[in-house]
Order: sequence, then C-alpha cells, then structure tokens
Amino acid sequence: MKTRTPWQVTRSVWYAMLMREALARTTADRFAWFWMLAEPIAMIVIMTAIRTLAAGGYSRISGAEFVPWIIIGLFGFYLFRENMMRSLGAVGANKGLFAYRQVKTVDPVLIRCFLEGMLKTFIFMLFIFAGLLLDIGLMPADPLGAFFDWLSLWMLGVGTGLTLSALDALVPETGRVARIISLPLLIISGVIIPLNFIPHDLQVYVLWNPIVHGIESLRLSFFPAYRSLNGIDLTYLWFWALSLITLGLILHLRFAMRLKAQ
Amino acid sequence: MIRIQNLYKRYHNHHGSDWVLRDINLEIPTNVSVGLVGRNGAGKSTLLRLIGGMDSPDRGEIVRDCRVSWPIGLTGGFQASMTGRQNVKFVARIHHNGDNNLGELMRRVEDFAEIGEAFDEPVKTYSSGMRARLAFGLSLAFDFDVYLSDEATAVGDQVFRKKASQAFKDRIGRASIIMVSHSEGILRELCQAGVWLHQGQAIWFDNINEAIEAYHQSAGITRPQSKNAQKSPFPAPGTSA
Repeated sequence: MKTRTPWQVTRSVWYAMLMREALARTTADRFAWFWMLAEPIAMIVIMTAIRTLAAGGYSRISGAEFVPWIIIGLFGFYLFRENMMRSLGAVGANKGLFAYRQVKTVDPVLIRCFLEGMLKTFIFMLFIFAGLLLDIGLMPADPLGAFFDWLSLWMLGVGTGLTLSALDALVPETGRVARIISLPLLIISGVIIPLNFIPHDLQVYVLWNPIVHGIESLRLSFFPAYRSLNGIDLTYLWFWALSLITLGLILHLRFAMRLKAQ
Repeated sequence: MIRIQNLYKRYHNHHGSDWVLRDINLEIPTNVSVGLVGRNGAGKSTLLRLIGGMDSPDRGEIVRDCRVSWPIGLTGGFQASMTGRQNVKFVARIHHNGDNNLGELMRRVEDFAEIGEAFDEPVKTYSSGMRARLAFGLSLAFDFDVYLSDEATAVGDQVFRKKASQAFKDRIGRASIIMVSHSEGILRELCQAGVWLHQGQAIWFDNINEAIEAYHQSAGITRPQSKNAQKSPFPAPGTSA
C-alpha cells in the first residue's frame, strides 16, 4: 500500500479535527448557538446602560456614535481574546489524540483558531447586517481596510494562542496569568473607555499594547470622521503578530514531546 | 520494512536517568511478525511506542516505509463526550487516503465491536470492556502493513478475546504484527521472529521460540520474588547484538 505525503496527512488531520471541533463547539450544550449571539448582545446592553447611567450621555466619542463604536471595540477584542483563551486549552483537551502520530500539537491550536475566527466573523457579519436594518450606522466606510484590520487582530490572537498554548504546558501558571490579565486588557485596550480621554503622557505607554492598534484601526475603517490616538500603526501590530506566531511555532516544534506528555 | 538505527532512549527523572534502550539496531522486514519479550521495565513498551511514533528517540532514528498502526486497542484516543460513531469517524478521517470508503469502514467497526445501540451513545457512558471492543474494532478496520499490539488481546470477555485472536490470525500473510505480550501462547501462535530486550539491548531471533527460551534462561537463573527486583547482574547468553 502506498504511503501518503506529509501534506496529505496534515490535510486529513486538519479536516478531521475541524469537523470534531466544530461539532464540539456548536453542540457543547443546548444553548451554544444562543450564547454566541446573546453574549455580545448582553455585553453591549450592559456597557451602554453603565455609560448612560454613569456618564449621563455626557462623554461623547468624537466622530462616532457610541453604540456602533463599542460594538466594534468589543468584537475586535473578543476576536483576540477568544483565540488566545481557546488555544490555551487546546493541547490539554486533545491530549488523547496525540497517540495517533499523525496529530501534532499545533494542529488543535490552529484548528481552534481557525474555527473561532470563522465563527466570530460570521457573528460580526450578522451584527453588521442587523445594524444595517436598524440603521445604526454599522457599515464600514472602508470595507477592505476593515477586513484587513479584522484579519490583523485575528493573527495577533493566533500568535498569542500559539505561544501561550506551548508555554502553558511548560509553565503551568501561564494559563492562570492569562485569565487574570484578560479583564485589565479589556480596559487598557480602549474597548470601553476612549483612550484619548487619558493624559497625553500616558498615551505613549498605552500604545505599547498591540491590541490598541488593531481595535483603533478597525474603528477608523468604520468611521471616517473618528478621532483616534496619534500613532496608530498596523505595522506595529503585525510585528507582534508575526513574532508571536514564529515564537509559538518554534516552541511547539522544540517541545513537541513535552507538550504531548503534558 | 522498519529500520531502527543507533536508537537511544531514556526517561528523565530526579535521580539520574539510565538508558532504557541503548544503541538498538534492528531491521524488521515486512511480513514477519515479531514478538517482543523481556521482563518488566526492559523497554518493550517503550520500543513499541517508538516504533509507533508516539514518542521520539533521544538519539538515532527509526525509518518506516510502510503503514504502521497505532497500538491496537488504544482507548486513550477517545473523546468522552462524543459518541462512538463520531470518534470512529474522526480516526477514519485522520487515516483517510482517498481509497477507503468512510461508510464501509464505519460498518466494519460497528460489526466487529458488537456494542449495538451504544455505538451512538457518548463514550463516557461505556464500560471499559465496551471501550476496548470499540478500540479493537477500530484498529482492525484499517488495512495497515504492520500492526502494533501491547497486551491488547487480553481485553474483553472470553468470546470477544477469541474473536480478536482470530482476527489477528486472519491478517497474517497480508499484514504483520509487532506485539508485546506476557502470554507466550499467543506469541508462539502469532509471531515468527522474536526480539529479546535485556539490559538496554535488543537481540533478534529468527525464531520466536528461541527468543522466549533465551528470556526464560536469563530469568530462570535469577528468578526474582518480585517482578520489580533489580536487573540480573549476570551477563546473559548471546548479548552480542
């Protein structure tokens, strides 16, 4: 019997894994699909309520409506965060499968990231469509630019996921730390609070965070009149994304056996 | 053919790490079934795992130019929350090479495992015997050139065990088996050649009976009370490999 080429093997592993993960992700419980839609809606409602009650509608976003502004921020951030968090559990959850030597440790991570990106993209599209019908101005002014910004945030999430999933197996505290910092990240990434409210000498440090660059670029592509921070640069984000992807792949390659035995 | 060249393997632990396998050189031809014998801790399972690609050697390499199975009867690869059918489908997809029919394969597994309705129930509801049946049926549904088996025929009830042994025997000629077993009856029945693992060395015997004989002789001299006793201090006969 003829043996398969490595690429053929990888492709069948990815296909099998995608089917499995997709099934597990969407049918994990009865409400899996419901929560995919309800979670962002609930978050938006809460954020808008806090904003209206606390600030009394005073602090306006210059150049953008508040509701579409926060929807885009939340979706951009969730895209990054979910890729990071889902990857963290990917290696451990599929440990049994590494008995089949065709399955490598990167496979579950890559497949989860792909699936997560696809689901988030689909749901974001649904929201944009619903926004069109409700006429709340959720149509990107520069669709192609918005698509690229979305892709950039995704790749940043993939890179972080790849690196953290490998580190998590080597240093078990990694997952815990990642969970702890995920809430502060939401705040310092300017998802809820506009970053141009903070003092100028602090903005320099805020810009160290690559997520800020992704989210603000996404908002700029949606609202042409939006006034963002100075110094938003997607190249900086890609520098992080590509470095993290490379580092993650190297770690998965170098510590393959330790990850499998985890 | 499976070629093992200058293979070294050790496991790291807190107090030094001795080589489990030291400079192993073997060539296992296709169509020759091999039994691995040796006492507990001699490295039989380690060698099998290395051949199956589940672990990597510290030095040296293993060249496989045929299709090698995962260890038969492996139950660790099942996702507990998914049904037996979904799990089988997953493994079938991994090994898909374009000419095996998924539906046909599913039927073969279902027939062999004989777990009835439970095939569509989540694996976490299975008893260990049912798991073993499913795992065994799954391994035999694929046409591998070489099957790996680690004490696998000893699972399930009497009837199933007989069926499993028969399934093994039917494969001989079309495929070969590399097996680890302490049941010498099964080894003599299914294997032609033998490898005796002793003090980190692997000694090839063209005849399985000779391998078992050599193992008996070394064990017979210093037959220990406990199976975890120290290794034999005596140089065993024929450690020239």
